[in-house]
Amino acid sequence: MLRFSSFFYKCRLSEDLCRLSILLDQSTDRNPPITSILIADTGIGCNLEEFQDLRCPREFSGAKIWDGLLSVKTTCITEDEVYYFHVNLDENISNKRLKRQPSQAKNGAKFSGTEVSLSVFGSTDVLMAPIIGFFQKMLVLQIPNVTMDLMVNQGASPATQTQYVFVVNSDKTSCFTASNLERLKSGLEDYVLRHENCLDMMCEHCFSDREHLKVGSGTACTEENRKRTGGKMEVVIVISDLLETTRQCSRSCDGKTEVLYFENFSPSPIPLVALIALKKIDWKSYGLILASVNDQDGHVFLEWENFPSHVQIQIALHWYHNQYPTRQKTQLGINLVKKGIKNALDDLKAKHEGFLLSSHARKICSYVPDLARSIAGLIFSSTDIDFQGDCLSVLGFQPQEVERDAVEDYIQRKIVTVIGMNERKPQKDQEAAPFLFFEGESKTSYFEDEEIDGEYFSTSLE
Amino acid sequence: MEGNFQISKTTNLLRRIKDFTRSILEDLAEGRSPIISINRFRNYCMNPEADCFCSSVEPKGQEILTLKKESQTYRIDMLLRVLLIVQQLVQENRHASKRDIYYMHPSAFKAQSVVDRAIGDICILFQCSRYNLNVVSVGNGLVMGWLKFRESGRKFDCLNSLNTAFPVPVLVEEVEDVVSLAEYILVVEKETVFQRLANDMFCKMNRCIVITGRGYPDVSTRRFLRLLMEKLQLPVHCLVDCDPYGFEILATYRFGSMQMAYDIESLRAPDMKWLGAFPSDSEIYSVPQQCLLPLTEEDKKRTEAMLLRCYLKREMPQWRLELETMLKRGVKFEIEALSVQSLSFLSEVYIPSKIRSEAISP
Repeated sequence: MLRFSSFFYKCRLSEDLCRLSILLDQSTDRNPPITSILIADTGIGCNLEEFQDLRCPREFSGAKIWDGLLSVKTTCITEDEVYYFHVNLDENISNKRLKRQPSQAKNGAKFSGTEVSLSVFGSTDVLMAPIIGFFQKMLVLQIPNVTMDLMVNQGASPATQTQYVFVVNSDKTSCFTASNLERLKSGLEDYVLRHENCLDMMCEHCFSDREHLKVGSGTACTEENRKRTGGKMEVVIVISDLLETTRQCSRSCDGKTEVLYFENFSPSPIPLVALIALKKIDWKSYGLILASVNDQDGHVFLEWENFPSHVQIQIALHWYHNQYPTRQKTQLGINLVKKGIKNALDDLKAKHEGFLLSSHARKICSYVPDLARSIAGLIFSSTDIDFQGDCLSVLGFQPQEVERDAVEDYIQRKIVTVIGMNERKPQKDQEAAPFLFFEGESKTSYFEDEEIDGEYFSTSLE
Repeated sequence: MEGNFQISKTTNLLRRIKDFTRSILEDLAEGRSPIISINRFRNYCMNPEADCFCSSVEPKGQEILTLKKESQTYRIDMLLRVLLIVQQLVQENRHASKRDIYYMHPSAFKAQSVVDRAIGDICILFQCSRYNLNVVSVGNGLVMGWLKFRESGRKFDCLNSLNTAFPVPVLVEEVEDVVSLAEYILVVEKETVFQRLANDMFCKMNRCIVITGRGYPDVSTRRFLRLLMEKLQLPVHCLVDCDPYGFEILATYRFGSMQMAYDIESLRAPDMKWLGAFPSDSEIYSVPQQCLLPLTEEDKKRTEAMLLRCYLKREMPQWRLELETMLKRGVKFEIEALSVQSLSFLSEVYIPSKIRSEAISP
């Protein structure tokens, strides 16, 4: 109940526009400092039984709760009054934990929501970081009907008041009609462009525009009969080429890839199955060499051996569980995460020709300029004008206005596309024997391929 | 003369090149990976079973080249590079040697063998002979004797100077007006033997044509020999050293090479007879011991490998027996060793007696 995500959950379930507000108010005359926290949402309201059965440690976001007392007000849209009660976290007996206070009449007003207040040891400075971090990550999901804000009072004077507002950017996506995956894509793009949503606008030192981001997404679902342990995985990967001026930016990434993990619409520490999956993915087939997976209290960063410093990769995983989140080390979960990520990487490859190719494919691509030059040569060196026109129209060019360089470039792109496509085909297909009906190399004597032809002794052929 | 896959007109080849180019473009435009199928040919196998079908000129398999493997992509790259050169040669009716082609892009081709393979691939792909591509070799072979002909309007009158060496023509396909008064054709492995015969006025005393490929025979020499065989219908005899290398040269004239197995019909000399030197000649003609060299390990390995070739078992078992004898004796010798007694022994005794015995043998 005391996780921010549970407040957000109440808002998300409401179909109306909702607000989630947090107020931090620090007493100036206490040492150590005590901060009162008020969390309020205009969501669907709480059921009282939730508080009765509440089992929660006597701390909030890492700070110890001062008096062990929560003050809770809640009402549903259909109710006529606002319920008010105290929850004593130190009380072990369930039915004594909840102490009902006088309710307040709504006097015919139609509203719903929940307000929880408590006091903790600690300054606002310590409390702000995780709250802001939570809101910044929540923005990635681009839940359209919820706005979030944080008000921090560090003294009585208005000058010591600071307000942070977190609003979903709906410039690109129509959040209300878009799918969760579309919103995740748009949200992750914003997250990247604004340096983990720390900025209000795109960082112009690092990025030229949103269109230059390469975005891939993938979905993986478990089979119907295994729903209980699986669910659905949505993955978005954003790869960005940073501008040269990124050196002037203090927030620029250091080549690491942050993996954002969401579980049922909430930022969450990454589970073991996802960690294992991240290590097991065949990154090499996408031209990436994974150096390490660093798990810092559930915040996971991938480090690469060979990734250029001017490129940044960001990954977001959203796991929708049908029941309680699975944190077991199950092959099913590992496969689900792997499949989702692989699908997102394949999507990136499909959308961006010649991108994320394996080192094998990149070697093949090194022949592409030559191949394109020869093919273009066969067209343009031909003395048959009709043949030239025919070829150009096959490629979609108007024969009158075409230049050889343009044709060569086009052929290059087409060959790279085909090489990328070959990579995405099942491995079995790729391993098909190049020889039909006949062994690869004939077992013949040393002389068999020697052929003195005029001026020289030719060496053996393969 | 018609080769196995000879194309009568260059327009036909150009049309095929255009069709091929267009099909690649269509594949790429449709997002399909181009696939190039290249038939594989062989003129022999080393299968101990007798039921192989190497004697057939039909392809014995197929190689599929795609852009999935680096080695195949490189091969396609080289094929297209050479094809572009070939297209220009044919369009402009110019000729170039394989070496010329290599030096057009030496850094890309890396080795002459790469060009050779590309040319072979193109010949197979377009079902044509190398000369159809206007790719020629600078002739290495020599000819003398009772013969005259024209090549592209240029006269070769060997009859006028019977014991003078003439170069084997490069553009064999353009050889015409072949006239000969010869009774047989003698192919000798080495230029030294050819010159010995010239010095001994061999052709003045014997109505014959003498040809040498100066070692391992090039395409022009083999094509020219085949042309003479077809035009003149003369028996052909071959004189090589009694060693594995000499036998390999004999087999190349007779059966063609594996490398150009796709064009075997235009290059082999199917009725060629082995005149010598045989292992038994060392005793018959008293070759001194110091001229008999022991077979090296490499020689033995080569000989054992050659003994496995199916065409020897099938068509020339008696050649195989001679080869086995050489292996058993463990010695080899050069033709010149026969001339220890007399400088003109080859031209005055050895060759005439061998020819006579060949003529009376069934």
